[in-house]
Amino acid sequence: MPKAEVVLSYVSTEPNIEVAPNMAAVQQMPTRTDWAEEEDSGLVQAIPPPQITRNKDGTETVVTVFLNEDGKRVKRTQRIKRTVIKKKENPRVAERRQWAKIGPEAGKPPGPRPDTTTLGENIIFRPVVGFKSGQAQEKNPEEDKKTDALKKMQIKCRICQGDHFTTKCPFKDTMAPEGEAAGAPPETDMGAGPAEGGLGIGGSSYVPPHMRKGASGASSGGERMGGKFERDDLATLRVTNVSEFAEEGDLREIFERHGRVTRVFLAKDRDTGRAKGFAFVSYADRSDAARAAEKVDGYGFGHLILRVEFAKKTT
Amino acid sequence: MRPILLQGHERALTQVKFSKEGDLLFSVSKDHTVCAWYSANGERFGTYKGHQGALWTVDVDPTTTLLASGGADNTIRLWEVRTGRLLKTWEFSTSIKRVEFSEDGRQLLGVTEKRMNQLSTVIVYDIKQDIEAEQDDEPALRILVDELPKVTVAGFSYLNKYIITGHEDGSVTQYDAKTGEELHNSPSHEDGMQVTDLQWSADRTYFITSSKDKTAKLHASDSLDVLKTYTTDTPLNSAAITPDPVQYVILGGGQAAMDVTTTSARQGKFEARFYHKVFEEEIGRVRGHFGPLNYVAVDPTGKCYASGGEDGYEVEREKEQGIRF
Repeated sequence: MPKAEVVLSYVSTEPNIEVAPNMAAVQQMPTRTDWAEEEDSGLVQAIPPPQITRNKDGTETVVTVFLNEDGKRVKRTQRIKRTVIKKKENPRVAERRQWAKIGPEAGKPPGPRPDTTTLGENIIFRPVVGFKSGQAQEKNPEEDKKTDALKKMQIKCRICQGDHFTTKCPFKDTMAPEGEAAGAPPETDMGAGPAEGGLGIGGSSYVPPHMRKGASGASSGGERMGGKFERDDLATLRVTNVSEFAEEGDLREIFERHGRVTRVFLAKDRDTGRAKGFAFVSYADRSDAARAAEKVDGYGFGHLILRVEFAKKTT
Repeated sequence: MRPILLQGHERALTQVKFSKEGDLLFSVSKDHTVCAWYSANGERFGTYKGHQGALWTVDVDPTTTLLASGGADNTIRLWEVRTGRLLKTWEFSTSIKRVEFSEDGRQLLGVTEKRMNQLSTVIVYDIKQDIEAEQDDEPALRILVDELPKVTVAGFSYLNKYIITGHEDGSVTQYDAKTGEELHNSPSHEDGMQVTDLQWSADRTYFITSSKDKTAKLHASDSLDVLKTYTTDTPLNSAAITPDPVQYVILGGGQAAMDVTTTSARQGKFEARFYHKVFEEEIGRVRGHFGPLNYVAVDPTGKCYASGGEDGYEVEREKEQGIRF
């Protein structure tokens, strides 16, 4: 089948337009020598043909002189690089591409219409030998852990170590739970946190969550408000006295000069949408944060002077 | 690869077809219209309006001048692809489940449904490949499917030698395309599981059938022998063979439309499944639909494939070339 050759040329232009400073200077530019033509164009000065010079690097410089809307002569210098991209196409396909659209699409400009054609999510398709159905890959690792824990979990009586619940123990009334004397809740084989962090089994009184076993110290990762949004407070600055017209972007701009900013939070009034006057800025690196605190503290922003200090640890 | 989503239809798609050069894509849907799209950028070329009922099937002739469509309004309509002009309407007593042009485009086949004491038939028209010509009113051949269960899909084999039909009971039958004589019937799919699709290889010497019995099978056109079997875990609605050199088959399916609301997208298995044609092994899946896939079609040049879903979307994707083995 014959293949038609379509030559597409892509033109990249770097326009460099300059308006002629005065008419006298312009008139010295090379004009057409033919006086008759000049006569034809009447009062309008003859326009020289575009001058094309080839540069060494394969580009072309085109200098054109033309009249703009105000009737002024304009000299334009363009550097153009031409790239020829050859594409072979079936003539039938090329012909069909030129067809006028029909039906509801009639008269619409070429190119996909956003109401009918959209791009989907990026899909990675890698054919592999021995493909297993998606479930194995999509499984949540957390779920895995849970099921594992469930599998390992055995029911163990705290009184007699038998495989039944403590409440069902036949010695429930005659024996105290094991380890009661030591005052510490007995270790069970459950291994998982929730069991240990449960109510103080050994003691009879209520134990607040942060006092429970496994919740000692800040590193416990125990229950904390907003634990999911745990941030590194070490490199976080508290910025106060912020103008109420400030935007997060402005702050980011100021603070990014001193290091990589990971987060900018500007407290805003829920109703008015204006800044409340304080913000938090987190850095990736604490030394950057220290430097920024030093530099930006006292910086005039808007009509106010910023006050920057390290954020205090939330308790 | 980012798929192109085409949203020209308001209801479930029933079939999609590429032109021979793969540049145009035709889709039919239950919303009574045929849409034509440029496959390169997803631009809609236009629609063909006129049908009064849900459309089940569409096909385009090898020169991309004529388009045939058939549906629940008991007609087969012939359109001029370029202008959208209706050239011919053939009326029947029951709905049309499948139309297909022969390899040379000179014949058009239609399958009528068995309903209300009407037997399922396969009709063949001689087509004059000229948009100005008057097309014949009477079919050149009419195969009455009497003893066998109703026909669901049909197509012309290589050189118009046979007409192969797929039946409601999962069997495949070979007819002589000249005389209409039944040559061979082979129960290939599980009994009672209807054949949902039949698509040809590039040279039409073998074909793939998909069935509700969760398998797709590659058959030889001559002997109807099952060459390969692709087993999945979901009822299949469609199966397509990629052209050389890519040795894949693409299967589409999912739960029946009526059960869909009770299942999540992941369980619903609304993915296009890629199997290796020779090794019968699943090699990957492509997600993207919210409902079962009703039809998958492969660009004859192998650049992309399109899938039409019950969700009314038509998704066109660039297919990765080459095989990693």
